[in-house]
Amino acid sequence: MFRSKHDRLFFISLLPASIAITGVLILFILVMLSKSYESINTFRIELFTKSVWDPENERYGVLSPVIGTFVTSVISVALAIVLSIPLSISTVEFLHGRIRDVVSSLVELMGGIPTIIYAIWSLNILAPFLKTYVMEPLHRYLGFIPLFSCRPVTGLSMFTAGVAIGISLTPYVTSLIIESYKLIPTMYREACLSIGATRYEMVKILLSLSRPAILASAMLGFARAAGETTIAVATVGNAISVSMCLFAPAYTVSAIIASQYGNAGLYLYAESVLYSAALIVLAATLLLSFAGLSMLTRWRERIVV
Amino acid sequence: MSRWRYLKDRIFVGAVLLTSILTLAPLFHMIATIVVNGAQVLAIYGLRFFTETPPPPISGAGGGIAPALVGSILVTLLSLPLSVSLALLAAILSTEFPRNPISRLADTFSRSFASIPTIIVSMVVYTVVVVPMGSFSALAGAVALSLISLPYAYTAFSTALRSIPHTYREAAYAVGMNRLQTVARVFIPIVKRAVVVGILITFARAMGETAALLFTAGRYRAGVSLDIRAATDAVPLMIFDFITTPFKVYHEIAWGATLVLLLIYLAIFIAVKTAVREVRL
Repeated sequence: MFRSKHDRLFFISLLPASIAITGVLILFILVMLSKSYESINTFRIELFTKSVWDPENERYGVLSPVIGTFVTSVISVALAIVLSIPLSISTVEFLHGRIRDVVSSLVELMGGIPTIIYAIWSLNILAPFLKTYVMEPLHRYLGFIPLFSCRPVTGLSMFTAGVAIGISLTPYVTSLIIESYKLIPTMYREACLSIGATRYEMVKILLSLSRPAILASAMLGFARAAGETTIAVATVGNAISVSMCLFAPAYTVSAIIASQYGNAGLYLYAESVLYSAALIVLAATLLLSFAGLSMLTRWRERIVV
Repeated sequence: MSRWRYLKDRIFVGAVLLTSILTLAPLFHMIATIVVNGAQVLAIYGLRFFTETPPPPISGAGGGIAPALVGSILVTLLSLPLSVSLALLAAILSTEFPRNPISRLADTFSRSFASIPTIIVSMVVYTVVVVPMGSFSALAGAVALSLISLPYAYTAFSTALRSIPHTYREAAYAVGMNRLQTVARVFIPIVKRAVVVGILITFARAMGETAALLFTAGRYRAGVSLDIRAATDAVPLMIFDFITTPFKVYHEIAWGATLVLLLIYLAIFIAVKTAVREVRL
């Protein structure tokens, strides 16, 4: 490994950066654990089974934001997958030359736009649009389904946040799917075409081959959606409540942290409770990213012959 | 080919292309809305928009985003040296010594920062930096930004270093260079442009970040501050605060600031695109 003394010295001189990175990550986890310990130790399991935010009386339960994070992330990942697959197919299969370059640049552009820009657009344009054209009709005609049972009052709801985050997530998921889809060896494509398959039949077969990769992309997308803050605060409505209805204002974990952490120091347990909620989200995002990444790596090793 | 299969193929291709256009529609609508709303505000406020502080909420029109603009640039520039140097050293380590357990650990850890929600970074930096220092500060904001932009810089640098063909390494060794000389005299010059592109991407990422600054940079809007130990402001943070207030003048300023942010981002994006295209030639 080290072919000379110089190489060993070089290796050692590069170490401080890695030690710093490792140290920061360890410090990070230690801070999270020690800060959340107090509230978990005090409230035990009730912290995660009740929905209360009453710092004046020191009563807490973070079930509502946790569910809110889960529901908005599910909506956004579902939307992102539905939009990403056609976009990926278009860029890889149907578009060529200049137009393909332009479209993939646009996807890249969309992926890098700061989330605050998505937030201001979602709050001012998307929320009223969804309220008038999606939520109100759904409530009027399908109101007997519990998911649509409440009247959308402000247009700010879990549903709006899910759609807004889903739009911002689409470029990321698209780039993951394109990357995998391109790796499918040409021989599968040739085999499909040689037996006279139409483009539709070929794409269907190729998509079924890349199903694990799409699932992994969805997991990575979920991890990103769960941590999204700016768009969530602007569109989720910020109310602590647990209801089956998607059109009711709610909270996500990141939204409750964004709006309550600033004053949390005034109360005995509030800060620690927010740390516990953050810990749950962090555990979920780390787990999903590792699982998603290792799934992608395994799939790529298997598909490339 | 049967008629039905032909038809199905046609419908499929049409539907896929249509959905793709629909997927990109929000991007165009977003840019159009921001340009229309923002340009109006900039036209009314004029150049003062870049030199004045935000007005009190119930005053008439007027004022600007100077504290946020200067703060954003200050905090982002402060964060760059930290994230870029750490990322570059870690990238060199993991490409030069890929099988060493320490470099593998550095690789995994550098990447795993990307999956930490930025709001959590903000909380932890608040606890570790802001509380001991006793106040919000540009420095704390820069620390938070460098943590969230580290994985972007690392990915850019390690992809660039890994893309160098093996023959260059062999050639360098053949003339008797050791690893340090190979990296410093052969590899870095080859990837110089890619490194610049990586820095630009990192800059754009850090400049647009909101959540990481929520509890770190502070919200000092009464004047322009260049003291890194004092609280400052940032453009995304100011927009975030202003769109959640009920005041009309704040909404106007938020639209104008969003246009400024969008233009900065577009400029960086175009710069990156032209640089990358030239590399390919």
